[in-house]
Amino acid sequence: MDKRIVITGVGVISPIGNKNDVFWDALISGTSGVSEITAFDTSVFKVHRGCFVKDFNYSDYISSGSDREIGKGSQFAIAAAKLAIDDSKVGLDNIDPERTGVSIGTTAGEIQILEKVNYIRFEKGEESVDPVLFQRHPCVNMPSNISIEFGLKGPSTIIPTACAAGNYAIGYACDLIKLGRADVMLAGGSDPFSKVAFVGFSRLNAIAPEICQPFDKDRKGLLVGEGAGMLLLESLEGALARNANIYAEILGYGLSCDGYHITIPHPEGNGVTSAMKKALKSARIKPEDVQYVSAHGTGTVANDKAETISIKRVFGEHAKKLAISSIKSMIGHTMGAASAIEAIACALAIKESVVPPTINYETKDPECDLDFVPNVKREMQVDIAMNNAYAFGGNNSSLILKKFTG
Amino acid sequence: MNSRLVITGISILSPIGVNKDAFWNNLTNGVSGIKDITLFDVSKYKSKKAGEISDFDAKEYLGKKGIRHIDRTSLLVSSAAKLVMDDAKVTHEIYSEEELGIVIGSTYGSIGSISSFDLEGLQEGPTFVNPMDFPNTVLNAPASRASIFCKATGLNSTISTGVASGLDAIIYASDFLRLGRGKAVLAGGAHGLTADIFWGAYRSGVLSGSRNGGIEISAPFDKRRNGFIIGEASALLMIERLEDALERNANIYAEIKGYGSTFNPDKISHENIDTSQGVRCISLAMKDAGLSGEDISYISACANSSVTGDKMEAGIIKDYFGDHAEKVPVSAIKSMTGECLDASGVIQCVAGVLAINNGIIPPTINYQEKDEECNLDCVPDNSRESEVKNVLVNSFSDTGNISSIIISKYS
Repeated sequence: MDKRIVITGVGVISPIGNKNDVFWDALISGTSGVSEITAFDTSVFKVHRGCFVKDFNYSDYISSGSDREIGKGSQFAIAAAKLAIDDSKVGLDNIDPERTGVSIGTTAGEIQILEKVNYIRFEKGEESVDPVLFQRHPCVNMPSNISIEFGLKGPSTIIPTACAAGNYAIGYACDLIKLGRADVMLAGGSDPFSKVAFVGFSRLNAIAPEICQPFDKDRKGLLVGEGAGMLLLESLEGALARNANIYAEILGYGLSCDGYHITIPHPEGNGVTSAMKKALKSARIKPEDVQYVSAHGTGTVANDKAETISIKRVFGEHAKKLAISSIKSMIGHTMGAASAIEAIACALAIKESVVPPTINYETKDPECDLDFVPNVKREMQVDIAMNNAYAFGGNNSSLILKKFTG
Repeated sequence: MNSRLVITGISILSPIGVNKDAFWNNLTNGVSGIKDITLFDVSKYKSKKAGEISDFDAKEYLGKKGIRHIDRTSLLVSSAAKLVMDDAKVTHEIYSEEELGIVIGSTYGSIGSISSFDLEGLQEGPTFVNPMDFPNTVLNAPASRASIFCKATGLNSTISTGVASGLDAIIYASDFLRLGRGKAVLAGGAHGLTADIFWGAYRSGVLSGSRNGGIEISAPFDKRRNGFIIGEASALLMIERLEDALERNANIYAEIKGYGSTFNPDKISHENIDTSQGVRCISLAMKDAGLSGEDISYISACANSSVTGDKMEAGIIKDYFGDHAEKVPVSAIKSMTGECLDASGVIQCVAGVLAINNGIIPPTINYQEKDEECNLDCVPDNSRESEVKNVLVNSFSDTGNISSIIISKYS
């Protein structure tokens, strides 16, 4: 149970790039992934923009099935998993499929399939819906499709804790290795662009009209995005035995729940604070040990204010010394994938000694008065990073990553 | 090292009873909860039946306020969560909000809410959808609602591995407690019946009676089986570490002795069933529990009357237990409740826990015609008095997800 867990491979499919180096270069250059929505008609809405994965080709990543047989959520996840496996240089032939599992998070699973089913029901009647299409919708298809693609026989699970799901899935993957229930885990999150989420958030007036400006005084909301982030996790022992490249160690994590309101974050950030404290405790570190916080930072008025309050409550005076950034300013809110992609950003920040910026930051908000690494990346050594993610339903999570030094 | 984990509370809302006494009474008397569907119109379908919870009124459990916009699955979860707190006699004086967690298996129950939100947008225009309905579209809503009703904030998680999700939620909660991350977890699964899931299952041809010539019946392991009858239920267990349960002098129903999970990536067909991952899953659970096949007194089966699924489970049991297979009673309670999807594994656990406590094994009803491919002792039609020490509970899902749990008499 005292096994140490390390990240030895990462893979990202995102609105600013689909390969690890492309993604990282775009991220530290402050690239925006926002574009006009063309997938459906937005003319009746007040907002028209989102963040989409571009230049994604099924056959570049996936050997089995076809674009029509596997939902977009699975496609992104398989692609990110393949990138992570390749990146880890573990070689599929060298791992024991019975000791390798999948733990993935999502908000909406294969939502585009259900939207298609509903569209056919509405336009032509339910008799016209291909039943096979409906079967491909439930989100259990996502981990199953990954396990099938790579022939894995270890535990295969999905944790749909909405916008915090990536962290939940990574945390559980670590636990499965710690408990000896698996040796290698593919863990992360995936979500295709959800029209349901776009409609819902726009009815809550939570979508920004132009750009996403986390922690800025004039922030106007989030931008719905899509993508996937997958990490290859293994025990330190296993990684050292095969002389693997180690990005970072996962020191611990903390989960909590607001138990307050289904959509509104607790105004004093009680749950969020508790998740951060538990993460620090489980990692056996002090608040002062953290240099970088990858914020949930959605760009909504309520979230960013509550998150700032919470960071100050947890870190005290040290809060001002933290470098804090929200990469949602660039890639939008990729929902269940968000915290997985952000965990990868933390791992790369640790590895490369560069912290990605919060872009679109113009006006300081007295209620969000911390160092958000405005607009330009920062070269700095990161020994310990905290990755925060919160969700509808008050599901909160914080993950702690540490530079591997032996 | 590993703490021992015990079950100190159970709750159940099911087609055969909305409290544990009624459920157990009906289960051991072989009473079926399968009736004609009343929740929605099925006149244009050949399948007409389901296991509905006919006497569920959320107000009785949650009060009148603030429940109008909450969907059926979330109401079922929240109500069962309240009931399990009561059954375990857990109050916030015993465990603080922070020491309590909730883990729910839920995959299918929210799909109806997502579809109605989406369809309303298509019909009325997307700017007319009610934002109050939006929270029901996230899959973690049922567990999150329960955390608000029960004030349990230490952990809140949802697992969506289909039919295996109920057992997987219990396993997730157990892993959490084994690692010392919390004191007590309310863990279980729920499925509230919706027209969308009925329609999806019906069109896929997996429901009993949906194909020509088949009678509409839930008859697991019986030769006449031709698909499952869908059901709805919500069931939760209160799981605690033994030392905490003893300290507060809790009533201990049973112990969670061990568990395992595997995945079968190969497509199965009726002619070509690979039992290896199911067998391996049971082996993992046995090893975790420190038991062997001869120690198992009862298997609470996943069998749901599907032609291939029941054959697969029988095959797995025969391959794991060998000669001992025919000596172990195996009953399929879905013969009475229907296939309650995310709730199934947990109801099977509740049946196992009550079997241990009462010394009675519930039957498989509707068993008439023997199928040589499923030649197990499936406790046909009448319950059986017997000492029950160790129960094996299986969830073998057609999505490839496989989990097993062993629940044992506490000593």
